[in-house]
Amino acid sequence: MGKLRQLCHWMTGQGKKMDVSEFVPHDHPLRQWSDVLPWSKFVVAVEESFARRYPKERSGGQEPLPIRVLLALELLKAELSCSDEQICARLRTDFAVMYVCGIEQVKVDRSQGHYVLPESLCQFRSQIDAALMAQLVAIQGADAMDKGLISPQHLVVDTFPAEQGSQRVTDATTLYKAKKKSSKSSNK
Amino acid sequence: MRTFGRQCRGKGKVYLKWVRKTEKQLLSIGCQVVPLALCAQMHLQEDTAIEAVQRERLLHKLDQAIEAHRHIEKQSRQLVNGKKLDHCKIVNAYDGTIAPIKKGKSNCPCQFGKKPGIIAEMATGFLFGYHLPQGNPDDASYVMPLVQTVGTAIDLLDWTYPKRTPRIRSLCGDLGMNDPKVRADLHLEGIATVGIPTSIEPIPKVPTPEMIDEVLNTPIIGKKQNTTQIKTAYACAYSRPFIEGLITTLICRGATAIKYKGHRGADIQIGSAILAANAATLVRINQDRITKRAQLFRRLFRLKTLNSNKNNHTYV
Repeated sequence: MGKLRQLCHWMTGQGKKMDVSEFVPHDHPLRQWSDVLPWSKFVVAVEESFARRYPKERSGGQEPLPIRVLLALELLKAELSCSDEQICARLRTDFAVMYVCGIEQVKVDRSQGHYVLPESLCQFRSQIDAALMAQLVAIQGADAMDKGLISPQHLVVDTFPAEQGSQRVTDATTLYKAKKKSSKSSNK
Repeated sequence: MRTFGRQCRGKGKVYLKWVRKTEKQLLSIGCQVVPLALCAQMHLQEDTAIEAVQRERLLHKLDQAIEAHRHIEKQSRQLVNGKKLDHCKIVNAYDGTIAPIKKGKSNCPCQFGKKPGIIAEMATGFLFGYHLPQGNPDDASYVMPLVQTVGTAIDLLDWTYPKRTPRIRSLCGDLGMNDPKVRADLHLEGIATVGIPTSIEPIPKVPTPEMIDEVLNTPIIGKKQNTTQIKTAYACAYSRPFIEGLITTLICRGATAIKYKGHRGADIQIGSAILAANAATLVRINQDRITKRAQLFRRLFRLKTLNSNKNNHTYV
């Protein structure tokens, strides 16, 4: 437990213990969203994939952050349109985000600045590959079929365009912007 | 198209000098990398101390390094000043996988980015999978990998008799599916390709007896389909508003602005958006917050009991 406490900061506080699931209302959108995802199957798939691709050379060491927490944060980024920093900050204060991350209990401690660092999330993401992502989508589809919610009988296929690297400014974009800026200023 | 701002469209120009400048640096580094990578591959093959998994991973990385250089070198020879940009030319020296999306454009300059393919259920729009190819290949090449993603999901089910394992009965879309080879491949798997318009005329929602006979008389699939299934397939015909709805759902979750680096990054971002969108869809299904059309389809697919107060005919 000592080792676990070094990293799972939601358990390290000295204050009052709070039950997260009791705090989040049943009809909260994030709770409902989280409840339909097959988390246990996802975690098993991720663990197997990581163990196969990054075998542990030595035993021991500190326990890593739970995969459930990191995977939930990665999916929440898409659902809530957040950056790494924003979602990690929300995890510290938002009980609904904690619920989605599978944190059952949290100890009150205002001195603790964060639960998960954005760097940890980034490192986790660097280990995910395309095959694992496709496997997670397949697991979700199989789980929904198993529950009788969907049927693959009649399907539709199509494509959509996706803009590449909007956050990374390329030389071409800079040049285009500069030209546009200069033409605007000359018009004035 | 809406996902591309005017900045990204540019004015249909390639800033050749900028590409050349970066390209020279990459090519000079690549020249040294290729012989080193080949040498390293040889040593790896000879070294027995390294584990098989690790060797495979390292070989894969070296292959990628060699391939990246070849790719840039090839495109460098093709990019000529003053010449029109052809299919799959390098335009952004930072990302070798990027390609101009030229298909379907008639009224604006060429777009640059990626073109992911999606496969979804007709009733609620649950996304069964996605396919993100390298570059911008032919549309027809998307279909079979997308069908395979659904097959993977079905394989994960451990259903046994009396519960019947589900299978794909029909597929629709405008994604190169009029290609006779794609159609033949789908028919071989017992999948009907009805509900796809072959001309500018929209297909009828209720098929005529002749249309049903045509499908029934198609070799291979005729044996595995019945009239009701064909009527349902026609009712599930390709609909642009339906697809636009799916794309909007993904746009809301950031699947159309790829911020992670490279092809793997795009895969992760689109995959995460699809998982999130699917979860939202499942919440709506659980709460019965779906369209009348989706409700009717779910009854036709026997996911819901028939509504005795309503007309449950296949007409949508």
